[in-house]
Amino acid sequence: MLGGFALTLTGCAGNAPQDTWKPSGKYARSIDNLQEPIFMAAGVVGLVVFAAVVYCIVKFRERPGHDSIPHQSHGNPKVEISLTALSAAILLTVAVPTVNTLFEISNRPKDTALEVTVIGQQWWWEFQYKTPGMEGIVTATELVIPVGKKVRLSVTSRDVIHSFWIPKLNGKRDAVPNRVQPLNMEATTPGIYEGQCTEYCGLSHANMRQRVVALSDADFATWVANQLKPAAKPAKVKDATTGELVDTPESGGEAAFIANCARCHQVNGLVDDKGDPQNSKADEQLVSGAAPNLTHLMSRSVFAGGMFDLSLPSAACSPKTAKYTAEHPTGTPDGCLNRADLEAWLRNAPAVKPMYSIQNKDKLYRGMPNLNLSEADIDKLVAYLTTLK
Amino acid sequence: MAIIERPRELAPASFVSPKQAAGSFHRPVQTKGWKSWFFTIDHKKLGIMYGVAAMFFFLVGGTEALLIRIQLAQPNGKFVNAQLYNELFTTHGTTMVFLFVMPMAAAFANYFVPLQIGARDVAFPRMNAFGFWCFLSGGIFLYLSPLLGGLPDGGWFAYAPNTGPIFSPSHGMDFWALALQITGIASLTGSINLIVTILNMRAPGMKMMMMPVFTWMILVVQFLLVFAIPVITVALFLLTFQRRFGATFFDVKAGADPLLWQHLFWLFGHPEVYILILPSFGIVSEVLPVFAKKPLFGYKFVVFSGAAIGFMGWGVWAHHMFASGLGPISVMVFSLTTMFIAVPTGVKIINWVGTLWGGTLRFTTAMMFAIGLIVEFTIGGLSGVTHAVSPSDTQQTDTYYIIAHFHYVLFGGAVFGLFAGFYYWWPKVFGRMLDEKLGKINFWLMVIGTNFTFGPMHIVGLQGQPRRMYTYKAGYGFGPWNLVETIGSFIIALAVGTFLWNVVKTNGITGKKPRTAPLDPWDARTYEWMTTSPPKEHNFDSIPVVSHLDEFFHRKYAEDANGNMVKVATGEEILADQIAHADKHIHMPSPSYWPLVLAVSLPIIALGVIFSTYLAVVGGAICVMAAYGWAIEPSTADESDFENPAGPSTEVTVHV
Repeated sequence: MLGGFALTLTGCAGNAPQDTWKPSGKYARSIDNLQEPIFMAAGVVGLVVFAAVVYCIVKFRERPGHDSIPHQSHGNPKVEISLTALSAAILLTVAVPTVNTLFEISNRPKDTALEVTVIGQQWWWEFQYKTPGMEGIVTATELVIPVGKKVRLSVTSRDVIHSFWIPKLNGKRDAVPNRVQPLNMEATTPGIYEGQCTEYCGLSHANMRQRVVALSDADFATWVANQLKPAAKPAKVKDATTGELVDTPESGGEAAFIANCARCHQVNGLVDDKGDPQNSKADEQLVSGAAPNLTHLMSRSVFAGGMFDLSLPSAACSPKTAKYTAEHPTGTPDGCLNRADLEAWLRNAPAVKPMYSIQNKDKLYRGMPNLNLSEADIDKLVAYLTTLK
Repeated sequence: MAIIERPRELAPASFVSPKQAAGSFHRPVQTKGWKSWFFTIDHKKLGIMYGVAAMFFFLVGGTEALLIRIQLAQPNGKFVNAQLYNELFTTHGTTMVFLFVMPMAAAFANYFVPLQIGARDVAFPRMNAFGFWCFLSGGIFLYLSPLLGGLPDGGWFAYAPNTGPIFSPSHGMDFWALALQITGIASLTGSINLIVTILNMRAPGMKMMMMPVFTWMILVVQFLLVFAIPVITVALFLLTFQRRFGATFFDVKAGADPLLWQHLFWLFGHPEVYILILPSFGIVSEVLPVFAKKPLFGYKFVVFSGAAIGFMGWGVWAHHMFASGLGPISVMVFSLTTMFIAVPTGVKIINWVGTLWGGTLRFTTAMMFAIGLIVEFTIGGLSGVTHAVSPSDTQQTDTYYIIAHFHYVLFGGAVFGLFAGFYYWWPKVFGRMLDEKLGKINFWLMVIGTNFTFGPMHIVGLQGQPRRMYTYKAGYGFGPWNLVETIGSFIIALAVGTFLWNVVKTNGITGKKPRTAPLDPWDARTYEWMTTSPPKEHNFDSIPVVSHLDEFFHRKYAEDANGNMVKVATGEEILADQIAHADKHIHMPSPSYWPLVLAVSLPIIALGVIFSTYLAVVGGAICVMAAYGWAIEPSTADESDFENPAGPSTEVTVHV
């Protein structure tokens, strides 16, 4: 039966981005190599049991005119002991490769190319790059890794328990507050690998997603170089008649961002018009004490904890196209921005993603509140956000 | 209070009744009419009450499941919102585990253990009533929550710190934690009661290894309960103190390790799985031999494997935590123990198939449910083995594959077993036959519904659909299978509806005259069939002496000269013989007001813990008063309490 399910699965899994039976990396491959024969063996055992039951039903059913009492056998210790020993032997056969694989996927690889701290909070993931030369890179929802290289994740949480899972790359690891727990990863081919938070973490658990983007070495180097840059300050323009500096939509958007967003959202290099740095103080606003770092928002393919695509779903903008893969390291292709969802998010975030966006008794939010922005502010903010490549 | 049989002449007139000494209430005497149900301490009445209440909660939990399935029928479902969905899956799990399967098993245990061992009641009848009222008041208390601040929303597993005051600010989890503490009292008192009953009150001659397997499995379950319930109670107590009184046991900011909750919960939670499934194993181990017309294959193996599960069940809890980050050494240990608990479980399957082998099989509804259990449970057991493979479990855990697994175990296993029990024992309990034709429709709808609902969950789980999600996106391959699951869930609802209709139709509720069940409708084998159906208040007119496993069968059948089994007596003859030797003076314990009063004080205290200390004081006062009332009430009703002053000693009357 399980074997049958497995076959059905292989037959139907054409479009299943989170399929656990289609590994794309060393660790998920090890798990798959272990589980496939075990599923088959379980299926065979199941079939033997079902065959025995069906045989009994057919062979030993009461027939008309045959009402004598069958032999009152109380059992056959030899049969029982040998079948018990057989089942123990099957399990022992399963146990050995299980333990081998367990250590194989858990041990720290000697040639780790990238170290990232993965932090879960309601209801999004943060990735802090720790490898020398990449310190300071902080992204949200999307973990970018070099293809074919071993990546060591340190998984933790800022509030409740979450679980980090990219099915095609490895099994899950819970993100537990006050604990930092390792998880290995490696992707064999460039591409986007999807996953979801898999430990129930409250209201919007279903909307807490994550993805790994595996890039070629060259693309990864480009991506890293871009991520290390601080945000550029949008220039104001000189009014032709008065000669005064006036806001463009982008620079006006920056001011609106400082006024409405910068309390929680960090943008590296953000300064106000006087040149004072604007660092986030999310711990004064949020239970988790953190909101996504938006310095390079446009280099991501999704936002709002993976609930919405940042690029339009059209074929030209699909994250799966070559164009996207080529341009991804430095931002969403022009004309591909999913403006409708982004504006809806800015208009009233908790209306499009369930969040506890009212202040609790400590005056803290869980998730993004409704900022009651004007339509003009929303337009300017979108203009500014598109500069965060 | 044990049942004392005393010759009437030994009750001296000068005996000072505690009633007169303490001035407390008389004990109630009604054994008929609606009042008798409130004050009864008869294990059979309490068994029926457990069954009716558990069936009610089954319908509640089932409705919650249907709402969940409607929401998930297609991607981006809008039927319920995120908060309500989270509340629904929390209460569905909590209700089905604590308010349906456990009390339904308690219903069977209460009703049949004394009958199976030849006792006239349980060892502590008032405590038995107290247990029932605790269960019911705990269940009602849980469902007061939507009226008083919201349903619980932290999941039935209630992982810290998500259930702390910051992350679950409504009163829902307070109600949850306190309700389970109250129902825990029901489980604890019930388990102690049944252990004492089984160890001390067996019929003369009934050695432990002559007990019916159902009684054996119930005994194992009661030991599991005695040790498991305190663990969850500690966890719930800590949670309550954190939520209500500012304690910091699971407060991360104060340095707590959230895995403490998981260890406490699963140290209870895994034995709990066996608490849920072993009673059904016991039921099918009764049903299969009767309808195969031969003894259980390897009785000793079944008993000892049940006991082995009872021990090994304590060493596997961390397999619920393979993704929690225990480290590979711990994971390895629990991986291995989990694999090897599959051995005693597999033994049971072997023995059931061995029971069928060489028998003469009669496919009654009860038998079909029992065979259904073998098949469905085997699927659940084998997917369980794949979880023991810890690397593979890190892919499967918290996906629908797990949901598929434990619903095959708990629905295909535990619930199928309970339905086998309904059909098998209905004539014993009510003296009426359920309709076999409707029963078979019920069975096939149930089988189809179960496999349509839970079968595809294997597939979507392995395709990466996580559980506890109020919604899912299109484009992941989940949609079509989820629709199949939703259709399946309504087929299950239809199956349950068929059962309820069967009950209504065959028990005179529609006005049609019900069919009286024959004394021994199934040609049964065990002790509980050696009395009238339904049994009299005192169960047996005289207690038959036991000399065999399957005592009833051996009184009906004997070997002839050729070694063939031939019928030598009918059930009616055996009963007539028992009645002819009836004990002249049977003293049954009197009903009591206090178990009900004491049990009702607990939810009042719990409401006080949530809302007001004054209420807790009131509840505490009722509790103390009830405890004193219980302690000092007369040990039996006074003869003058009876309308017919014949008194508490029942003159045996004979009905065949």
